This record gives sequence, structure tokens and C-alpha cells, in this order.
Amino acid sequence: MAMGLIRLLFIAFTLVLLSILPLHLSLADEITSIESVPDLQKLMYVAVDGFPCVRLLNLSGEIGCSNPGINKVVAPIIKLKDVKDLVQPHTILVTADEMEDFFTRVSTDLSFASKIGGVLVESGSNFQQKLKGFSPDKRFPQAQFSPYENVEYKWNSAASSIMWRNYNFPVYLLSESGISAVHEILSKKKMKHGTYTSDVAEFNMVMETTKAGTHNSEACLQEGTCLPLGGYSVWSSLPPISVSSSNNRKPVVLTVASMDTASFFRDKSFGADSPISGLVALLGAVDALSRVDGISNLKKQLVFLVLTGETWGYLGSRRFLHELDLHSDAVAGLSNTSIETVLEIGSVGKGLSGGINTFFAHKTRVSSVTNMTLDALKIAQDSLASKNIKILSADTANPGIPPSSLMAFMRKNPQTSAVVLEDFDTNFVNKFYHSHLDDLSNINSSSVVAAASVVARTLYILASDNKDTSNSALGSIHVNASFVEELLTCLLACEPGLSCNLVKDYISPTNTCPGNYAGVILGEPSSKPYLGYVGDVSRFLWNFLADKTSVQKGNTTSVCSKGVCSKTDEVCIKAESNKEGTCVVSTTRYVPAYSTRLKYNDGAWTILPQNSSDSMGMVDPVWTESNWDTLRVHVYTVQHSAYDNAVLVAGITVTTLAYIGILAAKSIITKALKQD
Amino acid sequence: MTVTAGIGYALVALGPSLSLFVSVISRKPFLILTVLSSTLLWLVSLIILSGLWRPFLPLKANVWWPYALLVLTSVCFQEGLRFLFWKVYKRLEDVLDSFADRISRPRLFLTDKLQIALAGGLGHGVAHAVFFCLSLLTPAFGPATFYVERCSKVPFFLISAIIALAFVTIHTFSMVIAFEGYAKGNKVDQVMVPVIHLAAGMLTLVNFASEGCVIGIPLLYLVASLTLVHCGKMVWQRLLESRNQSSASR
Repeated sequence: MAMGLIRLLFIAFTLVLLSILPLHLSLADEITSIESVPDLQKLMYVAVDGFPCVRLLNLSGEIGCSNPGINKVVAPIIKLKDVKDLVQPHTILVTADEMEDFFTRVSTDLSFASKIGGVLVESGSNFQQKLKGFSPDKRFPQAQFSPYENVEYKWNSAASSIMWRNYNFPVYLLSESGISAVHEILSKKKMKHGTYTSDVAEFNMVMETTKAGTHNSEACLQEGTCLPLGGYSVWSSLPPISVSSSNNRKPVVLTVASMDTASFFRDKSFGADSPISGLVALLGAVDALSRVDGISNLKKQLVFLVLTGETWGYLGSRRFLHELDLHSDAVAGLSNTSIETVLEIGSVGKGLSGGINTFFAHKTRVSSVTNMTLDALKIAQDSLASKNIKILSADTANPGIPPSSLMAFMRKNPQTSAVVLEDFDTNFVNKFYHSHLDDLSNINSSSVVAAASVVARTLYILASDNKDTSNSALGSIHVNASFVEELLTCLLACEPGLSCNLVKDYISPTNTCPGNYAGVILGEPSSKPYLGYVGDVSRFLWNFLADKTSVQKGNTTSVCSKGVCSKTDEVCIKAESNKEGTCVVSTTRYVPAYSTRLKYNDGAWTILPQNSSDSMGMVDPVWTESNWDTLRVHVYTVQHSAYDNAVLVAGITVTTLAYIGILAAKSIITKALKQD
Repeated sequence: MTVTAGIGYALVALGPSLSLFVSVISRKPFLILTVLSSTLLWLVSLIILSGLWRPFLPLKANVWWPYALLVLTSVCFQEGLRFLFWKVYKRLEDVLDSFADRISRPRLFLTDKLQIALAGGLGHGVAHAVFFCLSLLTPAFGPATFYVERCSKVPFFLISAIIALAFVTIHTFSMVIAFEGYAKGNKVDQVMVPVIHLAAGMLTLVNFASEGCVIGIPLLYLVASLTLVHCGKMVWQRLLESRNQSSASR
């Protein structure tokens, strides 16, 4: 007995020792500890971070991407270069430099397109360097609004038009973390268990318009499965216009910029050069001019207008001009006749070349007003001689003005005398126009500062109607370069993004990463909208412009807690970031931006019939964006069904064998007991 | 992995226990009660252990000796509870025997006692399998599968089902050995059960090593088969003894 015990103990001890010995060798690496079933599920179904391409509709059909039906799309992942003969739909992993060729091939080769379940786009920084240019937009963006005949002119040389086509599968741009998640799961497969598993991507990007079967704007607006594109433009006058005195209106010098851009992927569109560089130059000029004394004594009134929705049929400018015709509240203080000069600031971020910032002034037509503007630009340029700035007139061989808000102004009134300042002459220098790659690294902040300086001084000259360059006031107009640089990082980068101090001083942003896509217009359009429906950038611009163009009445500043100020010409600014805002005297207003073909009635949008007096409305596609529930992509590993069946068979076998064994043991025991 | 595979994994872990339940336990209500109470006891022991270890959790994932200590303390505690379980059973056996005498019915046979021990062991085993395998199995019914870095040839759910099956076997049959050991005062049997339990627990630590499950799981099954064989031998001996006794007493 004792021997048996000792033998037993010895065996057990050896076993334990054997088991523990190899352990000290291999515990160096990290284990992700799973502490609960939800943790396990998160590790199994890896959520992939990124930016989707969504479904947009117009009067005649759809563009963009969506799940083909109402179900999730699950398809095995394969790299584009490994694609040979696909039998079932796959998820194609495409790199940024392959994107243009891939989407062009999809549109032309239908058999190839039918084998695509979904697309994941990898746009890491290593691919960006390989790309010389990439623009998913057309060769002549928004050519149908051009005021001149030559619509074949190639303004955008890097164009591929891929964002304007209809794709019947989901497309997702991977973020940095998304790329590493996908690569990790693909490498695991290669290393270990490749034969009976496959890695799949699951796209949950079902669009409501697909679910409801509404495939154009009219149908989807009727069903309520989509919303029209638009937003809120902002205008402000320096100094404030007193609405009460309708006489003695000074002629207006209107400066225009846009705040919206677009790209293949709705949430990754910074639009650094086109058009945010122009917007920042405008804000820099406003900041510089706000510090000049005697602005109210100038002969002309300066008005700054920042439009949105320009990418989608010049919604902002068309609605602004329409509101001017209607003499509505949104444009109280302005009128069609009072606007004498228009200066638009287009893309000004890529003017730096060889140490000199060169900008081109494109004029709508030859007139005394445009000559005056060009002269003012030249004078401003000369006064800034030390800053290496050159302003040149655009080539007369150009068919006309480049795609810009002025095209809409011209179409409305062919007699418009206006000038648009751009960093290019005969075609775009921005090789990433309307793409997700038009980010902060695509522009030069000194170019934007230079443009702001020129514009500020030009506006002062135009407003003072004074050609005297020795005017000391002109020499005192300086743009704050650090302000411009900070603003660029707020509007064109995720760090610090809209959480930067400059923006947080005025508003409480809902997102940190700026997305300069116009988005949809929410709720009822009005000049005093519910601020929860107004985008972060619009609210920032309204507060900023109101602050910079305000005048102080007396020494006391009153506070406003509910956004309402007691005096009629006062507005309440900074009401979001601080609990209580400040009342300032300023003329700063929101103007809704939406198609002139749309009307809002009782909570629904209706499309108005074509009206020959609205020539731009006749060619307006009336863009809308589909609603959706969720936009998510997961990546996980799936076993082949043969393996699953094998496991079930194994389980049944084990159970049956055990049952047989138990029955056998029972009969042996009963037999043994019955032997007496 | 779909419902097919999920059911497969559940059957691998608990199929044999299901067979045992259907063929042996379900015939006698008292055995069902024993299984349930034994399951409850095992779960209570886990709750107490987790309460004791709570201040030290979570354990660092890259050192193995805290886990060894965890296994050691848990096994010791559970073996102590097993002895208590046997004591309660003994009391119950005396009550049942005296009741049988009063109503002139036969006392508990050897096979009855073995079946009660088997039911007790099955309760422990099933609780182990449910707690350590079935509770993690819900994601297995979905489309995805999961492979662990350290044992990358086989899906995680299959490994946990296989380990659970080994432990079900070990728990079920070691309870029979333990009860007989305590009843007969056989020191070998009494010591063997804790040693086997401890060895099995420690063997799972081998899975910490990269691809360690290739060694650990076969060794675990070696221990399980040792238990099964020893139990078989012991039961056979006892049956022969009792048969000789009953023929001798005639």
C-alpha cells in the first residue's frame, strides 16, 4: 500500500515538473487578456475604423456607393494585385494609387464589377508620395453652370470623374488604425491556419433609399428617405450696417469665399487648397481690417460672405442671390443694386513657388469696375513689396473664369463685374482637387498669409476709393501670420482640429475632426435657424465674424444668457463656449443654402417645377443624400463549412461512443453481480 | 462558426455527460438530486475562491507562477470541500440505511453507492464544463471563428471543449475513487484524487507556452485515462469482493 502511494506521488510529481519546465522560456510576449464574453466578441469581430462613401441622388438617378440590398455584405478579402479569376464576390483591398484605374475599370468592365462585393481603400502616407495627382472630380467641375460656351475646357487636369458614377457596392476608406487592423488579420492567416479559414469583411452600409426603392431625388424626398444637401452661409459687414437708416446706403464691396468641398469619401474631405485656403485668407483679411481705425469713415461698405453648398450646384450663391431678389430678412441691409464690386478668394494655398507667392486675378468681363479692382490689387501688391507677392492677370486665352461662385453670379446677372483670385492661371495647380488627399500638406501657409495680406489691403483701397499708396493706414494693415497658421490647423487637421483654442473660444464643436463636406440641411431653413442644426464651421464663422466686425457702444458690455440681446442691432456671440454670451453691435447673419428648386413645407421638402426665369435651376441636379441607420465595417475570420460539419460529426461521435461505452460497462457490471 | 459548429463544440464538451445522464442518472431521481447538489457545491466553491482572490486580480498575463498559485489554492479548497461532501453523504447514507431498516426494505447496495459517487462526480464535471467552456461558447454560434496566438492550429472553442471533456472525465471518476477511498480508509486512493486534480490543473498551465497545447492536452488526456482506468480497476475489485462476500455469507 505504502509503495503504491509513493509510486503514485512520484509519477504525479514528475508530470507536474515536466509540465512546468518549458514555461519559463516562452512567456515574454504580451497576451491580450480576455476578461468577459463581450471582450471575446470584440476580439473576434474586429471593428475597422474609416470613412465611408455614401449614396447621393439627383433628379435623374444616383451616384456614390451603398450596400446593394438591405442585408450586410460579407465577402472574403483579397488584394487587388492578387485578383485573377473570381468566382464569388470578394472584398477588394485597393491602394490609393490603384484607385483611379480600379474605379474606371469597374465602370467599363461589367463582369469585373459583378464580382465585387465591397471595396476597402488603403491610403497610407507611403502611397500618397507615389501619387502625382488624383482628382475624382470632372475635367470642368460644374460645367453646366458655366456662363461661357466652352464646356470642354480642361480646368482639372488630374480629373477621373469617378466620384460622379454609381457603384452598386460599398466602398470604405481605411483610417490608419483600420489599415493596421486589416493587415494584422491578413498576416495571421498567412502564418498559421490558412487552409480551412478565410478572412472576410462585413459591410453594414445599407442606405435607406436602397431599402425603400427610391432612386432619384424626387422619389426619395417624397418618401422621406433622403435629405437635400445644403447648410448655412454666413455674411457679415464691416462696419455694422444700421438697418433702420435705409437711406444713405453706401455702395458695397462684397468679398466671397466658400467653406465646403467634397471628395469620394464624405467624412474625409479637408479641401485644403480648394477652397479652405481662400476662406482662411478671407478670415485673415477680416482680422487685419478689424484692427484698422476709421473703417466706418470709408466711402464704401465692406461685406464678407462665406458660402456653403457651392460644390453641389452653387447652392449657397444661388440662394443668396435669390434672397437678395426677395429682400428677405436674411439679407436685410443689402440689396442687389448696392453691390458694386465682388472679389472672390478661390484657392490661394499653392501660390508659393521659388520663394515668390504668385496669384492670378480672373475677371468676369472687362469693365471699369474690374479695372478698378485690378488696379487696387496691383497697388496692394506694390505696398507689400517686401513680402515677394505677385499678382498677375489671368491669361486671355482662358475661355473665361474658372469654376467658382462667380459663375453663378454671372449666370444670374451677365453684367456682374467681379474678380476671382486664384493660385492658378490656365488650369488647376491643385492636383488633388476634391480628393481626400487635399489636406494640410498640400498647401503652404505662407501662400495663404500672402493672399490674406493682399486682399486686406485691396479691400481697404477699394473701400476708401483712394489710390494714394503713401497712406499710412494702408501700411498699417498687417495680417497676423500666426493666427492664419493656427486657423489652418483648426480647419484642416484632426490634431488639434476644431478643439483648438481659437475655435473653442467661440463655439463648442460637436466634432474634433473637421469635415468640410456641406452635408444636408436639417430642419426648416431660416435666417435665424435652430443652432443645433447649423454645422460647426458655420457657427464658428458667424461668431468669429460677428466678433471681428463688431463695434463697442460705450464702455459697458451686456451679457446674454439665452442668445437674445435687448437692442435690435445687437447679436449674442460666444454663447456656446461660455455659459453667457456677450452682446455686441454687429450685422452678421445666417443665410440658408439650398437649391432654388426646393421648397420646405410642413416638415417635408418638395421639388418645384422648372421655371424659365431661374436658368440655373433648370440645370440644377438637385442633390440629396440618402439617410442611413449605421455605417460600419467589421473584419473577421470564417471557417469553411466542411470544418464546421466535421466538428458536429466529432461531437456526435464522442457522445455516441460514450453512450456505447456506458452501456457496455453497465452490462459487464450487471453480469458480474448476477454471477452468484 | 455557425450553429453547426456551436452544437458540435457543446457536444464534444458535454456529450458524454449527456449520455451518462440519460443512461444512468435519469433512472433514479435521487441521483438527479445528487448531480444538482454537487453542481451547486462546485459553483459555491468557485464563488468563494473568486472572492478570496479578488484583491489580487487581474493577474499579470506574462508571469506563470501566480496562476500556479491560483490553481494550487483552488484545488486544495475544492478537495477539502470534497471531503466535506463525503461526510454529508455518509450522514445521509446512515439516515437512508436506518430508514430502510425501519420499513424492512433492503439497504443501499454497493452499486447504489457507486452510482451516487458517480453522480456527485458528474455534477462537479458538468459544472466545470459549463463554467469554463459553455459560458464562452455563445460567440461560436455566430459566423466568425477565433484562433489564439499560443495555440494557433485549432480554433479556441475546440480547444476549450476538448479540455472541458478531459476535466469532466477526471471529475466524474475521481469522485468514485475518493468516496471508496474515504469509505475503506485506503490511503492510496485518498491521496490519489487530490494529486490527479492538482496535476490536471497544473498541466493546463503548459498552454501558456507558445504551441504548448500540443504537449499539454495529450498529457491531460493521459491523466484522464489514468483516472478512468484506476476507477475501473477499483470498481471491478470491489464488485468481485462483494460478490465473494455475498456468496461466502450464504
